[in-house]
Amino acid sequence: MSKTVLIILIIASFLFLLAIYWTIFTSFKPPQEVLTYPPRFITTNPTLMQYEKLFTASDGIFLRYIGNTFLLCGLSIALVLVQSIFGGYSLSKLSFKGSNVIFLIILSIIMVPYQSLLIPLYDLLNKMGLLDTIPGLALIYSTFYMPFCLFMMKNYFSSLPVALRESALIDGASELKILLKVHLPLALPAVATTVVYVFLQTWNDFILSLIFTSSSDVRNVQVGIMNFATSRFTQDWGLINAGATFSIIPSILIFLLLQKYYVQGMTSGTTKG
Amino acid sequence: MRQRTRKAFLGILFLSPALVMVSIFFLYPLFKVVMMSFQKWQVLGASEFIGLENYKEALSDNEFWKSLWNTTIYAAIVTPMIFLPAIFLATALKKTSKKTKFFRTVFFLPYAISFVAASYMWKWIYNDMYGLLNYALISMNLISQPINWLGGTWSARVMVSIMVAWKTLGFSMIIIIAGLQGISPAIYEAARIDGAKKWQEFRFITLPLLRPTIILALIISIAGSFKAFDHFYIMTQGGPLKTTQTIVMYINKIAFDYYNLGLGAAISVIFLGILLFISYMQLKAGGFSNE
Repeated sequence: MSKTVLIILIIASFLFLLAIYWTIFTSFKPPQEVLTYPPRFITTNPTLMQYEKLFTASDGIFLRYIGNTFLLCGLSIALVLVQSIFGGYSLSKLSFKGSNVIFLIILSIIMVPYQSLLIPLYDLLNKMGLLDTIPGLALIYSTFYMPFCLFMMKNYFSSLPVALRESALIDGASELKILLKVHLPLALPAVATTVVYVFLQTWNDFILSLIFTSSSDVRNVQVGIMNFATSRFTQDWGLINAGATFSIIPSILIFLLLQKYYVQGMTSGTTKG
Repeated sequence: MRQRTRKAFLGILFLSPALVMVSIFFLYPLFKVVMMSFQKWQVLGASEFIGLENYKEALSDNEFWKSLWNTTIYAAIVTPMIFLPAIFLATALKKTSKKTKFFRTVFFLPYAISFVAASYMWKWIYNDMYGLLNYALISMNLISQPINWLGGTWSARVMVSIMVAWKTLGFSMIIIIAGLQGISPAIYEAARIDGAKKWQEFRFITLPLLRPTIILALIISIAGSFKAFDHFYIMTQGGPLKTTQTIVMYINKIAFDYYNLGLGAAISVIFLGILLFISYMQLKAGGFSNE
């Protein structure tokens, strides 16, 4: 790496992190220091006032949003794992006549944006009585986040030797046992990628929560931040930055912890074939 | 033989959770949106079949064409803003070491942040009265008056694109790095023996061999731009004068503000067609079609 390139990289990463830093920093400023010109880069009295306001406003509704979102993430992850572990195993080890066609249909979901299906999905949830409910939203998330995970899981199982299944069969193990006790422990990286991927997608979703939910018992944290930002006549930037900061902590933490798996899964999904 | 039917039975059984979900929440809505697009859809009461009326209405609607145009312009602006830096960063960071790993993490980090949070973070930076950007430019004497960045059509498009590039170029970078690492070092050695210069290596080895990877990253990125909703909804609300209203924002408005579900369905089908066409063209350009 040449000196010039290194200097460009250092400046670029400084600017990249500046945006994040500025939000976090603003959230710890006392309210009277937020709206100042010139902006203050140092504060003599950092405070948690913005967070206090964030968590106590409207009877602690923000914590409700956070709780809803964790619940949505947990449900979606569970639903995607069931579909992609069993489905991926079936497609790689138990392929039957027609299973390739099914695989192609599942993959085609990646090409079809759910944004084009908002209207029939709304109608469907409405008829099922699942509009404005957490399970309803989780069912939709898991359907559209599943194909990439199933594809990855299938690739992972396919890379394991056939003999693994055959010798277990000879030992008299049931198919379910072969999957859960023999194959799954070897596919933990793919499971980890699925968890990170679905968590980030669900945690960061905005449009589906905006359209398919309306009550604060169900809405997620992203719509919650927007509600905080638009519910007052003037935008309270201290509060907005506190909300933004708090909402990015889980995604950044899980991303940093499991980055290795995430990158592996992403790149094996996109560069194969 | 019994062994085989048992295996097929288990295969279908294991695939059934995914199959059930896909049938209910994907295949059925896909069928339904096409059906609805040919109907005058009533929320209450019977819906009637009206042929191509919804499509005629959509295609003669100025706002539809305007939204499509806005989305296309946005994709045209943001794509180079993502890919030029991403290719540069990927080439600089393709070797794995402690140093490159640190830089990769920094550039990939914003990808984990939601569009909503990122939109507010940058809206705060762009703020016309207290924003960091105006302050920086004024103190460097580049501008004399603070600018309302999100208030003008073109500046809003560019400023939103900067945020999106910041948020997503790390993802393209990671894919391109994986592609670069797949190119055998032997090819570069051979070129060096033949006396190839650095830029020649890039132009005649890296770019051609990287083409499938870049095309794939491009499909993901351009399809993503056409699906844009969150950031415009939050940063510009489609303004000024609907010049940054995207096609998904328009569908959302027609369907869920005006309850014109038939028209909304027709626009959704057109939108879906456009996205499939883009992906198909790019796959063809990447030489994937004969595989």
